[in-house]
Amino acid sequence: METVFVDAERCIGCLQCEYACAVEHSRSRDPAWAFMEDPPPRKRIHVEVGPTPASSFPNRCRHCDPAPCQLVCPTAAIARDQRHDVVLIDEVRCIACAMCAIVCPFDALTYHLAVDGGRPHTVALKCDGCIDRVRAGRVPACVESCKVGALVYGELNDLVRQGRRRETLTVLSAAAVRPTATPGIGTVDNWRSLSAAAAEVGRAGGAR
Amino acid sequence: MKSLQSDDFRDRSIQADAQQMLRVARDAGIETVWDRLAAQLPQCGYCAMGVSCRNCAMGPCRVDPFGEGPQKGVCGADADVIVARNLGRSIAAGASAHSDHGRDILEVFAETARGQTSGYRIADEAKLRRLAAELGIAVDDRPTEEVARDVADELLESFGTRRDEVSFVARAPEPRRQLWKRLSITPRGIDRENVEMLHRTHMGVDNDYANILLHGLRTSLSDGWGGSMIATELSDILFGTPTPVTSQVNLGVLKGDQVNIALHGHNPLLSDVIVEAARDPELMALARAKGAAGINLVGLCCTGNELLMRKGVPMAGNHLMQELIIMTGALEAMVVDYQCIMPSVTDVAKCYHTRVISTADKAKFPGATHIPFDPHHGLEIGKQIVRQAIEAFPNRNPERVRIPDAPVSMMAGFSVEAILAALGGTPEPLVAAIRDGSVRGAVGVVGCNNPKIAQDYGHVTLTRRLIENDILVLVTGCAAVANGKAGQMMPEAAEMAGPGLRAVCQALGIPPVLHMGSCVDNTRILVLAAALATHLGVDIQQLPLAGAAPEWYSEKAVAIGAYVVASGITTVLGVQPPIFGSRNVVNLLADGLDGVVGARFAVEPDPEKAALLIRRHIETKRRALGLPFLEVPSTVTGTPAPVTA
Repeated sequence: METVFVDAERCIGCLQCEYACAVEHSRSRDPAWAFMEDPPPRKRIHVEVGPTPASSFPNRCRHCDPAPCQLVCPTAAIARDQRHDVVLIDEVRCIACAMCAIVCPFDALTYHLAVDGGRPHTVALKCDGCIDRVRAGRVPACVESCKVGALVYGELNDLVRQGRRRETLTVLSAAAVRPTATPGIGTVDNWRSLSAAAAEVGRAGGAR
Repeated sequence: MKSLQSDDFRDRSIQADAQQMLRVARDAGIETVWDRLAAQLPQCGYCAMGVSCRNCAMGPCRVDPFGEGPQKGVCGADADVIVARNLGRSIAAGASAHSDHGRDILEVFAETARGQTSGYRIADEAKLRRLAAELGIAVDDRPTEEVARDVADELLESFGTRRDEVSFVARAPEPRRQLWKRLSITPRGIDRENVEMLHRTHMGVDNDYANILLHGLRTSLSDGWGGSMIATELSDILFGTPTPVTSQVNLGVLKGDQVNIALHGHNPLLSDVIVEAARDPELMALARAKGAAGINLVGLCCTGNELLMRKGVPMAGNHLMQELIIMTGALEAMVVDYQCIMPSVTDVAKCYHTRVISTADKAKFPGATHIPFDPHHGLEIGKQIVRQAIEAFPNRNPERVRIPDAPVSMMAGFSVEAILAALGGTPEPLVAAIRDGSVRGAVGVVGCNNPKIAQDYGHVTLTRRLIENDILVLVTGCAAVANGKAGQMMPEAAEMAGPGLRAVCQALGIPPVLHMGSCVDNTRILVLAAALATHLGVDIQQLPLAGAAPEWYSEKAVAIGAYVVASGITTVLGVQPPIFGSRNVVNLLADGLDGVVGARFAVEPDPEKAALLIRRHIETKRRALGLPFLEVPSTVTGTPAPVTA
């Protein structure tokens, strides 16, 4: 099963995935023209800030199986594409009742005017796994736009294994077996910790 | 009037007046700078770390700070070059802002010397003559205007390209000047260094990050010992050299029964004549005819500091108060010149009767009334502006007036001349106090507000910890306003200081925190440091001094930090600059620079920790000078009693 995996430690909050996602779901699919469209194209990935200003997480539909949204959809507008293992919404059938948003464990749905799909009406929007791109042998737009490796695409078990390897190296390096710090990670950690400290100063002011 | 509570918003500001207005903002649904910061989160990490580059159309590019994605921009620039380019351009923007301000003052000074302006005169002739003599201009028996013309011509040359060094470089101690020469960072011309920085950071010019940063120091020096210093000195000559003056601070300086006019921005040229215009009997009569008891001028930001220093005009607040002051519902006009004026003020003003009046042709605000400043008709324009404010008074809705707390007293006006006068005409008493350890050293706490730090928490806490430990604090800009509001700037505040500093302050009748002016007036701190170093026969870097910008936000602050460090004073920043994407740049600025210019940068958001860091630094300098020194703990012990505003 191929999917988009999130390495939250690496997200630096640049929002480039949001931008690329909106362009990918525009009619023109051209970054120079997409924002002239009416209704404007909408992102389906959402980077929210974490507990400190320099922490963030790119949130999107996880394409659950079974998918709670699919189970509750009263018009059967939500279906699974078995081949690519993604949950898709049929905008023509969607009645924007918000049941899918209510049950979604990740709050990944938004409601906007449909860009295409018959008469203009508000529909539920969410990640479609960039199924058109994947069919064409390309990675999803958010993954392509992410230059820090916070969003990666691949076989789920392979991605988990990569994480496990990193974790193993960290554990062993903590035991002083070997150093593992990747180049540059120190500066990012420094940036994050100073940002967290600055946020703490705000709270400290408030604690008085 | 509805009573105001302030049990909320303490994570946004430590100041009661700000908290009260934030409540008004929330109730009225008015957006503020804090709301907009929240809406921006998370802010782009590439930009926050300085590794994004928009300098050319092969880009935009960014470097993966984790070391695995792209490590070079399209041109081949790595993180070091990109970070250095961006920092260099920030310094140039900040230095340009100060220096253009200085040029504006200089041009009016030059025209005044030729008798071509209205509302301006040489207010401090003695300073003019001192300055002329310093610049090598003949003064004996020459008419004032002639001397002024020569001073203007000499300083105009500092902006150009025909000199080897800007005029005021000569004020730096000899060893410092020699160091700058060896490093090839002596500023040659104010405009020149800024233009050269833009050139160097164009693609394919300076590809050596250290070389870019060295020029960054030279660019900043062209501000500190050039543009800003010219602004300070000529403002003193045109409007008077500050002497100690007591005034009041916080939003409580607004008056419920008067026409309130806030003067906001940085340049004293127009605001000074507005002070004159507001005294006009005809306009005062008009105000009374409109139902007001009088005309009340208040300052905001550094225009406010310029007026507070020289005229004792009450200070309404610093950077983060500019939206909140409108929400008092009692402000008839906000007169703005330039720098740090949020584009949002006109939006907030739309919710009230407040007129925003822009005055600089280089700084226009959609939604504002533009009344262009013209030195040939200074007073006339000043009156026109005051009239606009008076005419807005009947539109005030008394139901919406919310003026917070009673104001706090603060002392200002500590020019170098005033400090030396307080010391009896020579730096010796201060030097003696530093030598025997009753005063450990001095720290310039300067810079802006930044909504990333609870407003004024950094300034007020750091300052208090320093004075408690017998360190004299010199303040300018937003930091001065913060400390004034916290009651730390009256002679009585000597009680808050450690025993050594307290005794010195009480003997001299001065506060432990001295207001030295606006942000261009940080040059007064340079002049004082140079005077102390020369008096002792050492370089500035050897003195027990430090700088701090606990809540900085602006490019001007980047230029100030750079010129302070390049002048030999180690500086602690409270907000991290966008450099952390390059380990080499961080290492150079935070460490390597010490071996180059004898000072370095540190970043420490927590003012309690910053105070320890600075105290350790000062004691290290004392030890090296052979003066008595103390061991300072390296970590904060226990929970320090909070500093209340």
